[in-house]
Amino acid sequence: MKTDEIITNSRQKWQIRDKTLIFTGLLFLVIILFTLDIFFGSVSIKPSEVIHAIFNSSDKALETIIFKFRIPKALTALIVGIALSLSGLQMQTVFRNPMAGPYVLGISSGASLGVAFVILGFSSQISPGSIQGLGNWALAAASWLGAGAVMILIMFISVRVRDIMTVLILGIMLSSGISAIVSIMQYFTNETMLKAYVIWTMGSLGNLTYQQLQVLLISVCAGVILNVISVKMLNALLLGENYATSIGLNVRFARLIIFAGTSILAGSVTAFCGPIGFIGIAVPHIARIIFRTSDHKTLIPATIFIGGSVMLLSDIISQLPGSDSVLPVNSVTSLVGIPVVIWVILRNRKYSGAF
Amino acid sequence: MEEKREILSFESLLIGYASGKNRKILLPPLNAIAYKGELIAMIGQNGIGKSTLLRTLTGLQDPLGGTIIINGNPISSYSRIDFALSIGYISTEPVRVSNMKVYDLVTLGRFPHTGWLGKLKGEDHDIIMDAIEKTGMQLFLKSYITELSDGERQRAMIARVLAQDTDLLVMDEPTAFLDIKSKYEIIHLLHDLSKKRGKTIIFSTHDLNIAVSESDKIWLILKDSFEEGAPEDLIIGGAFDQLFKDSLVRFNQADGSFTFRNEFKGNITISGEGISRLWTEKALNRAGYSVSSENAVMDIEVIKVPDGNKWILKNNQMIEEFSSVYDLVSWLSVNMI
Repeated sequence: MKTDEIITNSRQKWQIRDKTLIFTGLLFLVIILFTLDIFFGSVSIKPSEVIHAIFNSSDKALETIIFKFRIPKALTALIVGIALSLSGLQMQTVFRNPMAGPYVLGISSGASLGVAFVILGFSSQISPGSIQGLGNWALAAASWLGAGAVMILIMFISVRVRDIMTVLILGIMLSSGISAIVSIMQYFTNETMLKAYVIWTMGSLGNLTYQQLQVLLISVCAGVILNVISVKMLNALLLGENYATSIGLNVRFARLIIFAGTSILAGSVTAFCGPIGFIGIAVPHIARIIFRTSDHKTLIPATIFIGGSVMLLSDIISQLPGSDSVLPVNSVTSLVGIPVVIWVILRNRKYSGAF
Repeated sequence: MEEKREILSFESLLIGYASGKNRKILLPPLNAIAYKGELIAMIGQNGIGKSTLLRTLTGLQDPLGGTIIINGNPISSYSRIDFALSIGYISTEPVRVSNMKVYDLVTLGRFPHTGWLGKLKGEDHDIIMDAIEKTGMQLFLKSYITELSDGERQRAMIARVLAQDTDLLVMDEPTAFLDIKSKYEIIHLLHDLSKKRGKTIIFSTHDLNIAVSESDKIWLILKDSFEEGAPEDLIIGGAFDQLFKDSLVRFNQADGSFTFRNEFKGNITISGEGISRLWTEKALNRAGYSVSSENAVMDIEVIKVPDGNKWILKNNQMIEEFSSVYDLVSWLSVNMI
């Protein structure tokens, strides 16, 4: 037994060293992609000029591009990637469904509904310009509520329907239903508000003001903290409700904390960047493939790093480096995420119910 | 001798489901006691309420009446964590989490012992390794639970519940879906845990043979009664026959085996010795004949020959010779209607 222990211990040390190595690599990847994202944009600027502009402010136009557009956009991409991926990870564990994600289960739609209520319903009371100040928080809060309401609805569905694919289809139905409600609201609203809403739905990573970025950053930090403190609860929930209860977890309380975290993460992103698909569902799977673990102590940081990288990469691709046209970032994330989702569906046919 | 310590008891316990004002009570009030170190098998027909009783004992479902006492305190007085420190549970629900290693699964058993973030201390690690060793899962420490066989996964689940370190373990059909070898290994493991570790284990099962040979006590759940006792006491008292009252299956009190109540075709006599005689008799029972000299319709003689056995069938009309039990029974089914 003694030698066995030594072998086990040394093997564990190896694994810890492996893990540290991968995490260091991922950290460098995030830094490199973040830098590249600042370098590439619709106006082509040489890297040397970018560095010049950051350290000596001589060229006013260049400085504006870098500080007013590129850096906020790269920061937004990083935050959005982290937020959506973490919300996806939490949803997959809570619903025990590998196909769960903020976009496919309609959480983003719920957030859109919240936004629609604010922009189409109340912005006549608060003048269009006031969206800048307190309006940002109102927008975010409305998104959280919308996202949270859909989360609870999906929870009710998945308690009654065990089949993963059925829940998925119902999620799509839910999204369509919500879209229909938003369309009706659009039909009855006036022109200015409609325009404001349509611009929001096209929302990309680049349109955020510093104030909005601040709201996004604070909310996402809160969401990440809620996520980190639920690490033990998430691990217990992997076993399902009965086992989690039998080892002493207050399942209702755990769900409340996790739902709050997920709604804040997915809701805030949707409020300021519009619905962005397939990052939330795909990134947790990439993290599982790389680390081959189910332990959230590893999966949470892994999802943070990979989520940030994937979103930064998607943003770089959407800039079409070398050309001056820009793709909608939503299409890029779909193209990146969908292959992963298809792979998971095909692999999962072997043991349905597992993830 | 040490005083027997009560681990679990319930009195006038009513189990079932309540939704709104409708209460569906499954069984008459139940009373029983489980002592330290006892291995208790719960037996009853499908759908009679075994799982419901186990879920009620583990607090996953509220009782509709009566009291449940664990370690001297009613279960309603326990906090969530204290309750998880007193009773461990394995359900029939298979756990198939991909990318989860056996070690991770067993670690989850430490849930009620660790702090807010679930950080393991050295002592926790020792208990986890001990649980893995006790269940013989050392070689599978780093295996993914989705890649284990059903028997191995069940052992990993038992390791998890051992790591939870409770006096009382409750398991819902731990041997379902297992092959015969794994069934015996699992039950033997449970027997060992109850005897060497002093665990009180309550498990439901349909494997009457295993339950009879390995458990200290049987809780027999029938539609209108609840019988408690050593397996042998229940056999002597004829309680098992109650279990099969409405079916074609019959429990043989003499040797603990089961037989179908086949269509009776007549009495026969058998002469011969040892194992071959015994199994010939079993085959003839299956074919519908009982061994008795009263009004015997034929006599079968089992004779040892150098290269095996031969069977000679005699009645008042003929003599036939067969080289295997199969030939004998086949001939009977064709010629003796």
